[in-house]
Amino acid sequence: MPSINVVRLDGSVDSVAVDPEGTLMEAIRDAGCDELLALCGGCLSCATCHVHIDPAFADRLPPMSEDEDGLLDMVDNRSPHSRLSCQLRLDDSCEGMRVTLVEVG
Amino acid sequence: MEQQAQDTERDYFTDLSVLRDPYEYFESIRERGGVFRSTLRNLVVVTGFEESVEVLRNTEDFSSANAPQGPAVPLPFTPEGDNITDQIEAHRGEFLGGDLLVAYDGQQHKFSRSILNKLFTPSRLKANEEFIQSYSAQLIDEMVAKGGCELINEVATPFVTLVIADLLGVPADDREHFREVIDNAPPPGNMEADAPPSFDENSPLVVMGTYFFQYVMDRRENPREDILSELSNATYPDGSTPDALEIVRLATFLFGAGQDTSAKLLGNSIRRLAEDHALQDELRADPRLIPAFIEEVLRMEGSTKMTARLAVRDTSIAGLPVAAGTPVMIAVAAANRDPKRWENPEAFDMQRPRLREHLAFGRGAHTCAGAPLARVEVRILLEHLLAKTSRISLDEAHHGPQGARELDYEPSFIIRGLSKLHLVLAP
Ligand code: HEM
Ligand code: FES
Repeated sequence: MPSINVVRLDGSVDSVAVDPEGTLMEAIRDAGCDELLALCGGCLSCATCHVHIDPAFADRLPPMSEDEDGLLDMVDNRSPHSRLSCQLRLDDSCEGMRVTLVEVG
Repeated sequence: MEQQAQDTERDYFTDLSVLRDPYEYFESIRERGGVFRSTLRNLVVVTGFEESVEVLRNTEDFSSANAPQGPAVPLPFTPEGDNITDQIEAHRGEFLGGDLLVAYDGQQHKFSRSILNKLFTPSRLKANEEFIQSYSAQLIDEMVAKGGCELINEVATPFVTLVIADLLGVPADDREHFREVIDNAPPPGNMEADAPPSFDENSPLVVMGTYFFQYVMDRRENPREDILSELSNATYPDGSTPDALEIVRLATFLFGAGQDTSAKLLGNSIRRLAEDHALQDELRADPRLIPAFIEEVLRMEGSTKMTARLAVRDTSIAGLPVAAGTPVMIAVAAANRDPKRWENPEAFDMQRPRLREHLAFGRGAHTCAGAPLARVEVRILLEHLLAKTSRISLDEAHHGPQGARELDYEPSFIIRGLSKLHLVLAP
């Protein structure tokens, strides 16, 4: 089970273990990071699970679907490192990855 | 003071004045705090927004096993000790609806949810939008041509049933039969039943289950381009294949879950429009406001009033100690009007900041999986209705004059919605 570092909105960093059988969104949500709203519960419809991913790890993540891309187009602070965390399952190659939470626009 | 409040506490689960106006009731109990212990039913009641989010997000300490039966039905066991996880699992089958997805906990829930989460994606909904458009146009044209309708049974219920049937890929021949079974069954959370409700052989979920079993077997052999095929051939995150019966349970639940709630949301939305002609005109002039209108209706009069949880271990909610085995009622309708969260909560205001954070679809792991569909289908029907009419009014022959309206609400402690809504539609 990989551990990642979650950068909260206030700048503090939490270490979170990610169950490879769940999503990154579920791991962050269930770790008590309440600012990750994840309003749709992972249905790929709200974009409130938006995070910025450590560029060094980008190629270890599953590719982005058209739907995810389209939804990310609607958020305010999209960057080249933006992903929707409900679409990501991580394996051990993601150990130590930094994931930055993003203010909901 | 405390004693007096208890003596006058009305019973949410049986009092018909609460059914007519749950909002007035929730305001009357709000003064006891965002979370309080009700002695009437021996449960903890949550009306605060923050407090509700806290419970809904805390799947460690709270089980959903009692979500379908509600917090007032006695537990099938006597809680023992400070952690009742094992007791819940040993007795899960005895909770009413304890084997439904909304009642699942832990990994079982995560696995089933991983399958459902892929179903109502933007591209899938877009692909089905054509059907939703043409069917709602047909229904609305018919009703406008005859000058009015009873919205719930003539429009809302057939509409939501056919939309989900089409999405899932239920054969046309079986749809009518499903409708009859659903129409003849009481709504979830029925307050009128003298015996506690049960899932007997006539209950919609059981009848539909036998059909869905055939579909799933067929789709495993001959996959098509429909959701049933996707469901039938889905795998869990660990790569294993779900049991066919599990898929049947999911599909059946999906079919049933969105019926009452979506149809009643249409009723609540359109009643509001019929009572506010200026609002109608505003939306007609700018249909892009419709999504915000729907969100504000969801906040003020969403079709789900409450859900339930069960404390798995000794824990607390906003500092109030809650012992293992305590049922918790989360009044999302009250949370959606919590003045600590919503400025001027009784006012209808489509411009509210962060409006979509209301709790009408729940929050956390069990957040409504059908919300994306509900939003699309309600939006499309409202677009057609507003475009094809110049005036939508309540039919006073049925509902009485303004100031003395007679409106009947479905006798349910879960669902908020009219049983009938008679409208006059001017082209
Ligand atoms: C306006 C319409 C609707 C409302 C207000 C609504 C409300 C809710 C709420 C409040 C929950 C959470 C229950 C809890 O946390 O205990 C829920 C769960 C659920 N809803 Fe909806 N719903 C609506 C429409 C639909 C539709 C159209 C579908 C299916 C097509 C659907 C499928 C589900 C499912 C599958 C769950 C369980 C999710 C889980 O346990 O993970 N709902 N709904
Ligand atoms: S949780 Fe809504 S899109 Fe990810």
